[in-house]
Amino acid sequence: MLKKSLLFWLILSPLVVVILFPFGVMFVTAFRPREELFTYPPTWTFSEFRWANFAEMWVKTNFGRALLNSLYVSVLSTVLAMILSIPAAYALSRYRFPGKRAYRTFLLMTQMMSPIVLVLGLFRMMVTLGLVNTLNSLVLTYAAFNMAFTIWMLQSYFSTIPRDLEEAAWIDGAGHLTSLLRVFLPLAVPAMAVTAIFGFINSWNEFVLALTMIRSSDGFTLPVQIYSQVAGRYQIEWHHVMAATMLATLPVAIVFSWLQRFLIRGMALGAVK
Amino acid sequence: MNLSAGFKPLAMILPGLALAVLIIGYPIYDLGYASLHEVSRFGQFRGLNGLTNFRDVFQDPLFYGSLIRTVIWTFAVVGGTLALSLPIAMMLNEEFYGRGLARVIIMLPWSISLTMTAVVWRWALNGRAGLFNATLMDLGILKEPIEWLGEAHQAFTVEILIGILVSIPFTTTIFLGGLSALPQDSYEAAAVDGATRWDQFRHITLPLMKPFINIAVVLNVIYVFNSLPIIWVMTEGGPANGTDILVTYLYKLAFRFGQLGKASAISLIMFGVLMVFTIIYVLLVMRGEAGADAEE
Repeated sequence: MLKKSLLFWLILSPLVVVILFPFGVMFVTAFRPREELFTYPPTWTFSEFRWANFAEMWVKTNFGRALLNSLYVSVLSTVLAMILSIPAAYALSRYRFPGKRAYRTFLLMTQMMSPIVLVLGLFRMMVTLGLVNTLNSLVLTYAAFNMAFTIWMLQSYFSTIPRDLEEAAWIDGAGHLTSLLRVFLPLAVPAMAVTAIFGFINSWNEFVLALTMIRSSDGFTLPVQIYSQVAGRYQIEWHHVMAATMLATLPVAIVFSWLQRFLIRGMALGAVK
Repeated sequence: MNLSAGFKPLAMILPGLALAVLIIGYPIYDLGYASLHEVSRFGQFRGLNGLTNFRDVFQDPLFYGSLIRTVIWTFAVVGGTLALSLPIAMMLNEEFYGRGLARVIIMLPWSISLTMTAVVWRWALNGRAGLFNATLMDLGILKEPIEWLGEAHQAFTVEILIGILVSIPFTTTIFLGGLSALPQDSYEAAAVDGATRWDQFRHITLPLMKPFINIAVVLNVIYVFNSLPIIWVMTEGGPANGTDILVTYLYKLAFRFGQLGKASAISLIMFGVLMVFTIIYVLLVMRGEAGADAEE
């Protein structure tokens, strides 16, 4: 076991190094004094931890605003997607209905639709609806594009909740709604929470639509705000960019690491059957 | 099996369906309409012009360049990802010390926005001050710093490698799902019969994993074919269009050069390619489900 463990870690080590490398780069650049950004030859070491970089960055890159925008869009789009997905997933896992097969095919197809191919049409649609340059355009599109994933995940989890429990509740005289609220819902809450968090992370990280729909910097979400600090600039304040990237990335990475085993389980259960 | 049918389940799926049809269906219609019209920079239609937009696309050397690079990009990233992910998943599926930590690290790139990953790498690969050069020089591999993103071929290669890196977690996840479902007794039987590990891999693991490999190929092809952020953030398709793939070229045409008719035509062409892969995917999933139903 020990020998095998060492061997496996040895084989995995190049990949582990390459994966952790960008985090190292983020870290040492974010804390580095500005004067030491372009030392030659470049080095990993630096003279002091300049915590002030973060405070400066917060003001200069308008980080707070972008953070609020990202939170607004991610929370609302996730809530909308969940409100629409939960009944749909319940119907898929509990009922037989005409057109079920066609509906499942439709879900699989929308799961494959990528925003980039439709982005021009979406932009024109948002112009028509008067939603261009509003965060709500992102709420609607993210919810729509995430729904296929959330419905699949929820449905595969719902199918593992035994139907007998609900049926037993009816026999005991509980109404349909009561059994749903008292029996099914408590069992389904963990799956809903996990699915919602993955939906949230998807929205949090989205780039193409945010770049396209939002025209003024007040409405930028975090990925676009950080991109705008890099794109087409004569002078890039890399220590600010890396500090911002670190703040925007770490919380999500921690939550994701904690939850990734549920994703593996969800996929094994049926998202990819 | 079914509780009560009727209109209730339909009412439950309808609101979500309506949103999806509006947000995904309408743009397809709009792109189809625009691709057959002459469109001004500001989006006004100037009348039907038949297939002129498509002819423009097919006479554009930049389109062919982007098309060829899209094929290279897709094949290289998907091929590299699969070649690395299957052995990784097989290792992560076995017990060893620190497996939990290894899983967390390997899944890490998935949690981070591609935009952020690309921004960090763009800085890390900076010719003068990048820490990638610093590391290679410290290790004695490089004497002089290299401007990694300065030349198109080299930049494109780097982008492909980063594409592979960020695709590994998702692919490994699919494979782990498959591996955890493999019957343990066939391995024991094979071991009793004196089969080597390589034999086991070739005659048991690979055939049983085939459905998962198929799905991983199709899904990755779709995702990679459509992936904009890495190339957009690192080189914006430059220098001199040398790293443009179809999505970056499409984005420039639509939102930089205002050639909306032509951009709509490219969107539709890409949509067609995507549909082919999507149909393959749907068939694969349906076949898997039919197989599962038959077993029940």
